Amino acid sequence: MAPPPNSAAERNTDMAGEIVVGIGGDGSGWQAARVAARLANLMHTTLVLVFGYEAVAMGPRGGPLEEQVAAIGEEVTTEVRDELLATYPTLAIEVALVQSRPVDALIEVAAAREAEVIAVGHGGSGPLKAALLGSITYEIVHRAPLPVLVVPNDPDDE
Amino acid sequence: MTETLTQESGNASKGLKAGALGLVATTVIAVASTAPGYSLAAGIGGINEAVGVKAPFVMLFAFIPMGCIAAAFFYMNKADADCGTTFTWATRAFGPKTGWIGSWGLIIADLLIMPNLAGVSGQYVLLLFGADKAAENAVYVTLLGCAFILAMCWICWKGIELSARTQVALLSTELLVLAIFAVVAIYRAFGDGVTRTIDGVTYQSVTPSLSWLTPSGLSLSAIAAGLVVAVFAYWGWDTAVSVNEECEDSNRTPGIAAVLSVFILLAIYILTSFGTQAFLGPQFVIDNQGDAVYAVGKQALGGTFNKLLIIAILTSAAASCQTTILPATRSMLSMGSHKAGPGIMARIDPRTLTPKWSTWAFGIFSCLWFVALALVSGSGMITADYNIYWSSIAAVGLAIAFYYGITGFACVWYYRQYLLKSAKSFFLVGVLPLVGAVILTFVFVKTLIDSWKEDYGYGLTAGIGTVFFVGTVLLALGIPLMLICSKKYPGFFSLKPDAQNVIPDPRGTDGPAPELGS
Repeated sequence: MAPPPNSAAERNTDMAGEIVVGIGGDGSGWQAARVAARLANLMHTTLVLVFGYEAVAMGPRGGPLEEQVAAIGEEVTTEVRDELLATYPTLAIEVALVQSRPVDALIEVAAAREAEVIAVGHGGSGPLKAALLGSITYEIVHRAPLPVLVVPNDPDDE
Repeated sequence: MTETLTQESGNASKGLKAGALGLVATTVIAVASTAPGYSLAAGIGGINEAVGVKAPFVMLFAFIPMGCIAAAFFYMNKADADCGTTFTWATRAFGPKTGWIGSWGLIIADLLIMPNLAGVSGQYVLLLFGADKAAENAVYVTLLGCAFILAMCWICWKGIELSARTQVALLSTELLVLAIFAVVAIYRAFGDGVTRTIDGVTYQSVTPSLSWLTPSGLSLSAIAAGLVVAVFAYWGWDTAVSVNEECEDSNRTPGIAAVLSVFILLAIYILTSFGTQAFLGPQFVIDNQGDAVYAVGKQALGGTFNKLLIIAILTSAAASCQTTILPATRSMLSMGSHKAGPGIMARIDPRTLTPKWSTWAFGIFSCLWFVALALVSGSGMITADYNIYWSSIAAVGLAIAFYYGITGFACVWYYRQYLLKSAKSFFLVGVLPLVGAVILTFVFVKTLIDSWKEDYGYGLTAGIGTVFFVGTVLLALGIPLMLICSKKYPGFFSLKPDAQNVIPDPRGTDGPAPELGS
């Protein structure tokens, strides 16, 4: 595993790094985005919304499928961004649509931007489902080279 | 304040995915997509029926056209990595009509196999719980089978995927169980062998012989009849290895995984086809076509271990079901998206990021088709007296041969200007796809001609061979449908094949071809 892009000791103590948050089309991570927005606002740093997408690995993908999924990603991130801007009008928000598995997308963006912390949603999958299908939260906590903030999803976000 | 950036995932940042796990996982996905356990359970009876003890030869030989067509998939994917595969590629090479009808072949192949998948699953679920009597009841099997189809559609709609670790665990169990089954069966067939009298018929082991790997004594018709079932056994492998890899990937994992998966598949198919037919002779397999592997397993292993065999076949059927639904619905999505068919097929569920309408439409048609076959066949569906239900595997083979053939020819024709560039291009982009396409066309035409006759081993429907009837009627249905679509969607149907100057070098570093129709 790559070494942490920026250890706490090396960091410039006057300035906070960015906060990277992963959001999905199903409402997952939206609550995490709200918490992260509040923190980013207090920390005077930028919030990066990451939408990682990859069509199912088995079977063909690409072409119209990828295009449409990307369009949905834009829609979802715009919706979340607008909601956050309504609460924190001065917050700097950036959006990254990444064509990769959500976990890889988050780690990539966080590493590239030397972020302070990754925020992810959690909820839905019980231990059995997580063991069989894998859990984004579980994987990110184990693989991320930087601190991870886990926020329970709000069931009202669909 | 806002910036949208779209990034491609880089190699360096893949972290734990790269390296050893990557190789194992890629190989596993290729083998799991092919579903050896299920393919064997469903196909071996038909192969034995066609070629007797030469099943191992047919299994070996069938890989050649499929491996060749994988090259066509690989190079066409470089020009256009569109989820429509054959649809998009044949349109680029030959024009919209060929693309449309090729895609129809793909969807029909997928649709035709669903009843069989569902039937095998329904039956093996019942066998798993010891309900051997219920497993012979067409009503129970049909109901369970439909539930299975709908459950698999639900999984595909939800976009649920087993984690790589779970897949590795399931597949290793499947392969291990199949290997033990085959080795025990082969071992017990040597020497005096085994004699069993079942339902008044006496079966006797056949001593395994290396001559089973040669075509000696087989007629061309028999080879074609065997191949049409055996191509089905490798179906899925090509897509898994050729379509999902990044073309510029410096990482050599995909190539090694493809080669590894071939050896695993060949080994397991040859071993298991030896085992199933040796233990009580090919006639026993033919007489138990409906549940051949279970029937042999019950005699050879018995008890608990046979349950493992059933579980292996069931997980394999589930994987196969997924790799059947996905390409079909992706092709429908691509057709809808390129305006070659109803736009609703292209609609994506924003939450699950999957083509919801196509998935459920495909699932519902599959159930209807399954129920229709069950009604036509009645109780004969299970007892396997070579009726419409079992002959559907051969009809699937016909449809596969049809659209794979088109894909192979499309590759050769599309890249014609590059074929003489180097010996390697000539061989990889020209010879391989052409050989695959020619063999598959031969299988297609020969099977059509033979299955027209009434003495073809699968019985009669409406006075002509059942395979011919099922395969041809459904494929031919595509022609009127295409004509209707060409009236309704003139935009797509006025497209021309790609101009020579926009076609990228398949073995060069040119980018993909420009958008379809631009």
